[in-house]
Amino acid sequence: MAPATSNSLHRSGSRPQLDLSKAAIQGNSEERDPTILLPNQSDDISHFALDIGALKTSKSYFSGSLIKLVYFSRHEGQSIDDKRKRTVKEISNGSRRSYPILGGRLHFVKFETSKLNECLDFISSKQLHNGRIDSHYWNSESPNKENAVIKATGGGAYKFADLFKERLGVSIDKEDEMDCLVAGANFLLKAIRHEAFTHMEGHKEFVQIDHNDLFPYLLVNVGSGVSMIKVDGDGKFQRVSGTNVGGGTYWGLGRLLTKCNSFDELLELSQRGDNRTIDMLVGDIYGGMDYSKIGLSASTIASSFGKAISDKKELEDHRPEDISLSLLRMISYNIGQISYLNALRFGLKRIFFGGFFIRGHAYTMDTISFAVHFWSQGQAQAMFLRHEGFLGALGAFMSYEKLGLDDLMVHQLVERFPMGAPYTGGKIHGPPLGNLNEKISWMEKFVLKGTEITAPVPMAPPGTTGLGGFEVPSSKGGTLRSDASALMLVFSILYPLWRCSRY
Amino acid sequence: MAGLNGDPFLGIDDNIEKLQYNNNSKEVIDKEGLVVGIGEDSSNNKNNNQGGEKDMAGNSIHRSGSRPQLDLSKAEIQGNSEERDPTILLPNQTDDISHLALDIGGSLIKLVYFSRHEDQSVDDKRKKTVKERLGISNGNRRNFPILGGRLHFVKFETSKLNECLDFISSKQLHRGRIDSHHWNSEAPANENAVIKATGGGAYKFADLFKERLGVSIDKEDEMDCLVAGANFLLKAIRHEAFTHMEGHKEFVQIDHNDLFPYLLVNIGSGVSIIKVDGDGKFQRVSGTNVGGGTYWGLGRLLTKCNSFDELLELSQRGDNRTIDMLVGDIYGGMDYSKIGLSASTIASSFGKAISDKKELQDYRPEDISLSLLRMISYNIGQISYLNALRFGLKRIFFGGFFIRGHAYTMDTISFAVHFWSKGEAQAMFLRHEGFLGAVGAFMSYQKHGLDDLMVHHLVERFPMGAPYTGGKIHGPPLGDLNEKISWMEKFVLKGTEITAPVPMAPPGTTGLGGFEVPSSRGATLRSDASALNVGVLHLVPTLEVFPLLADPKMYEPNTIDLSDHKELEYWFTVLSEHLPDLVDKAVASEGGTDDAKRRGDAFARAFSAHLARLMEEPAAYGKLGLANLLELREECLREFQFLDAYRSIKQRENEASLAVLPDLLLELDHMDEETRLLTLIEGVLAANIFDWGSRACVDLYHKGTIIEIYRMSRNKMQRPWRVDDFDLFKERMLGSEGKKPRPHKRALLFVDNSGADIVLGMLPLARELLRCGTEVVLVANSLPALNDVTAMELPDIVAEAAKHCDILRRAAEAGGLLVDAMNNNTLDGSRGNSSSVPLMVVENGCGSPCIDLRQVSSELAAAAKHADLVILEGMGRALHTNFNARFKCEALKI
Repeated sequence: MAPATSNSLHRSGSRPQLDLSKAAIQGNSEERDPTILLPNQSDDISHFALDIGALKTSKSYFSGSLIKLVYFSRHEGQSIDDKRKRTVKEISNGSRRSYPILGGRLHFVKFETSKLNECLDFISSKQLHNGRIDSHYWNSESPNKENAVIKATGGGAYKFADLFKERLGVSIDKEDEMDCLVAGANFLLKAIRHEAFTHMEGHKEFVQIDHNDLFPYLLVNVGSGVSMIKVDGDGKFQRVSGTNVGGGTYWGLGRLLTKCNSFDELLELSQRGDNRTIDMLVGDIYGGMDYSKIGLSASTIASSFGKAISDKKELEDHRPEDISLSLLRMISYNIGQISYLNALRFGLKRIFFGGFFIRGHAYTMDTISFAVHFWSQGQAQAMFLRHEGFLGALGAFMSYEKLGLDDLMVHQLVERFPMGAPYTGGKIHGPPLGNLNEKISWMEKFVLKGTEITAPVPMAPPGTTGLGGFEVPSSKGGTLRSDASALMLVFSILYPLWRCSRY
Repeated sequence: MAGLNGDPFLGIDDNIEKLQYNNNSKEVIDKEGLVVGIGEDSSNNKNNNQGGEKDMAGNSIHRSGSRPQLDLSKAEIQGNSEERDPTILLPNQTDDISHLALDIGGSLIKLVYFSRHEDQSVDDKRKKTVKERLGISNGNRRNFPILGGRLHFVKFETSKLNECLDFISSKQLHRGRIDSHHWNSEAPANENAVIKATGGGAYKFADLFKERLGVSIDKEDEMDCLVAGANFLLKAIRHEAFTHMEGHKEFVQIDHNDLFPYLLVNIGSGVSIIKVDGDGKFQRVSGTNVGGGTYWGLGRLLTKCNSFDELLELSQRGDNRTIDMLVGDIYGGMDYSKIGLSASTIASSFGKAISDKKELQDYRPEDISLSLLRMISYNIGQISYLNALRFGLKRIFFGGFFIRGHAYTMDTISFAVHFWSKGEAQAMFLRHEGFLGAVGAFMSYQKHGLDDLMVHHLVERFPMGAPYTGGKIHGPPLGDLNEKISWMEKFVLKGTEITAPVPMAPPGTTGLGGFEVPSSRGATLRSDASALNVGVLHLVPTLEVFPLLADPKMYEPNTIDLSDHKELEYWFTVLSEHLPDLVDKAVASEGGTDDAKRRGDAFARAFSAHLARLMEEPAAYGKLGLANLLELREECLREFQFLDAYRSIKQRENEASLAVLPDLLLELDHMDEETRLLTLIEGVLAANIFDWGSRACVDLYHKGTIIEIYRMSRNKMQRPWRVDDFDLFKERMLGSEGKKPRPHKRALLFVDNSGADIVLGMLPLARELLRCGTEVVLVANSLPALNDVTAMELPDIVAEAAKHCDILRRAAEAGGLLVDAMNNNTLDGSRGNSSSVPLMVVENGCGSPCIDLRQVSSELAAAAKHADLVILEGMGRALHTNFNARFKCEALKI
């Protein structure tokens, strides 16, 4: 298997692996239990990549866009049984392949693009920009900032290059967005056992995909717009379609129509909406009867916003909740349909949906799934990715030379959920927590009531694990997350091969 | 051929000096029988009928397999109806028997109604003679079960349902149906009256119709209607479909044998995507909930527009870049060319609206409307293409109210289809886009026989209201001609631009009238100038394709394509300049009364409005050729009851010419054969040139006698002419090297003007042919057009000429033309006289200076059966149209 050489696009064919002679630095790092990760302690050597899905107008950054950051904290495995390990290594070095991959952790973090400064602070505080897996600077105490390069993708990679240079002294190396997306998806689908899941009528089901039977598949990335990519292998893909009706449309139209202040608020509104007040349903046209001859039930939407043409009601007479839901259904349904038609065109059975529009939002996923199911008459399935927002960032990360991540196998990865996980979807809000003490203090602010957690609005949420941070809890206070079914955590830890293979 | 630009009224020095002889070599002539056998019109009909029935039998949906035709015994009521000139349609007078069908949509009610109309009843005697002479009878040719009449297309806003009900009521549309049970009953049994309707409203408003009009609504399936409507329109209307790329419309002629399968995308509130495999055979394969309702619904919420049209109009002035996120916005102005996206491609519709800084009120409604329009159109185009691809369909027809002839919408959809298919697939649009469902509901009536209508049975006419409206009725219908004129008088003409007051009582007269409320800015009549107008479809079942056309599918009558804007401008100027003169003549022809003057003014306004509309949008009335434009003028005259503007002029010229005919015949008879032939042809050219409409000839006319002018002109006809095939013609007529040629069996002479042209030009030529033993059929207009001689006038002219010439007399007798003049000779007696080949007169079925050989009268078609020579004469028939026409037999174009 030499997927990299078949790459038809720009990435180099051969990728030298880190050699073991550089591993000496591992001894310097603190040894910690891998499931508890404290910032600035275990993150001794790390590097990172960005996906800046961002826009800047003359005055402001668009809110709703996100910066996705994937960073790697190298971490020596437990040193407790160093001796035994060494013994094992001696045995295995000859007969087994050597282990060029550094053990460590891969963190997934996101910031709102409008809060770019927090992102820069975060990077700065973690010294992420100083460490790189680059043999030339590997051992230098004071990294040569002038030559430091960060891989980044997304529209913002072009826009914010100067800012990064100024603030962090690093250059941004722009990676092609599509390349990153595909590389990220391929990596996740191959390396994480249950990365993909279906979502029908509120029910999630994880799907195990044989990575030998992964290709070809259709990757639908729902960002501001939507790209539909037929993926035939590592680095082999083609953008076959797309649509301009995407997440940006939902959020843009939603903002104009509801005055919501954030994408998440808009999504949350949809949870309580009833689109029948705005959408024209088949039943509205046929007096409640199904138009069953052509397979349309009375509740099928005949025309999104079709009831809004009534003379009697103005914008303010409609509930924002209903508008949000109608909009959500319209766009999700449309994406599902166009995706299916493209899958059909190329005879693809699997369609993976990713991108920030999905955000683990149950209704969005249901609607897309419904559309694919409806139009394919059950022949095709919509699948979603747990790391949906991070495909690009991960792909950019993968584009570093010498990383060796390409060869990672499913059994080499373990995912852990640190303390911030239940409260956050990986979004950082506020300054990172410095040490264990801060973490405990933060935790103490919470009062546990049975299984339900009621939380004060945390003023200094945990950026600690690279995952922490809160969305502002909903004013109703019942649940921490407006969408209780959202996947809690997006966090992977890369283990050295030997650990998994041994235990 | 720059010469084709020539002023039609001033042709002396122009390329009218031409003679085109098209001798289709012996091989073709030998094969004639075979060719006729294959292409013969009646056999075509038969085949199609069979095919049609097969299709119906295979209809997987609900329509019954066989549809009984109206039988002729029911036709007696036709006698009771008032006989009127068919081209003048007054409401509640000619609309004697009619029925209607409705498509009641969420925002518009579309109404299609039929007004039955008896064909011309004038000149019955001549017709009868011709019928017998040519063997036209109901026995050996297909009879015409379809009633002649008119199909009207009208729309109302659903919110103004009452206006629609008033309209139906005022026209008594709900009373008449082509239903044999009630055919003869004086007082229709309203309780049993049933109207076919489709659309969601058919369910909703059934009770209201019962209450207000006393009729029951018979709900027809929407999809069935849609498909039936589209199939009918695509088969029956020649240039129903058109493409629309970058503002440019191009009409597409679709071979109705190669129509299926196609994808029909109906964009109403939502979108249905239907794969159509044949009549009644279709499947809804897809659709989308993002449609016209979405545009209008979201648009209303976002812009506070009060109407769909207002919203559409806003989009015309919008700039979507302020709201949409473009590829260039993301990639800093660079194309993302790697994946084929240019910087101006929309990456995310409304993607810029996520900015914190701007609220709804900070965006221009224009921009919002445009962004929304592009989003939805683009999406529909994309989904449609993907479905076409899925089934391997090349043709996608888009219809439904969302399109509304709106240029930008069509462009966007076309762009999407073109973009995603990489040019492989084409988006096409239908001129009657909003009326598919209503037409289909109409088609669902049993027994109207419309299924068998062929493209050549239909003539579309644009009455006076056409330039102002797309068929939308607003306000009560106009009652009579007087109201029409009053309405017309409210308009003030300013150059070519017409500014209109909001009409309070627009014309519903022709089923087309009525206005959209002009925009408050008042600059243009229509919010979107590119929207197409829908005319009234005249069903003329007696029209046929001229059987001698070599290739009817490839035949295009117009030599001059008016889609060339310079060409259009030229003719626009010519017609505009000629207008005052024409009005004078027209008014004079009606006795110059005040009433005639009023009508004349109204005509001038109406015709100017047509011209202005066509200048604004040449495709407004469908594919526009010179022939259409000239016919429009004649129809417009007739609409204001100017039956024959040139009547007295024609009479004068005929008399003057007939007076000198004996001299000419004498002169000719003294020539040898060869000289005579050349002189005859020169004579035809000369006589045609001094067209009395031509100003240059008016001077000549005042200076000398007709025969002097004629001789003078003839002497100017020095060969070689611009197109000169005389030698070929001579060889065919006279033979070469002593070989006497076989004379033609029957010649069809398409004659042109009255006066010298017919009397001194064509009659002598006809005489020469008769002398050779060739039957001659003079083909003339059915209705007046300029100073063209009509089939009605010809028998008198021939009779007068026959007084001075034995050849003509015997032939005319043989042809039954002298029944009136020669009292002693009964019809039978003249037929028994075998001493001469007959001279006959047939009408061509049209009332225009030009002729479209795809639609000619059945008597001409019958006469053509045994003809082996076609002679087309004059600017209109041989040059502006048919210059490129090819025939199965020999043809001469003079």
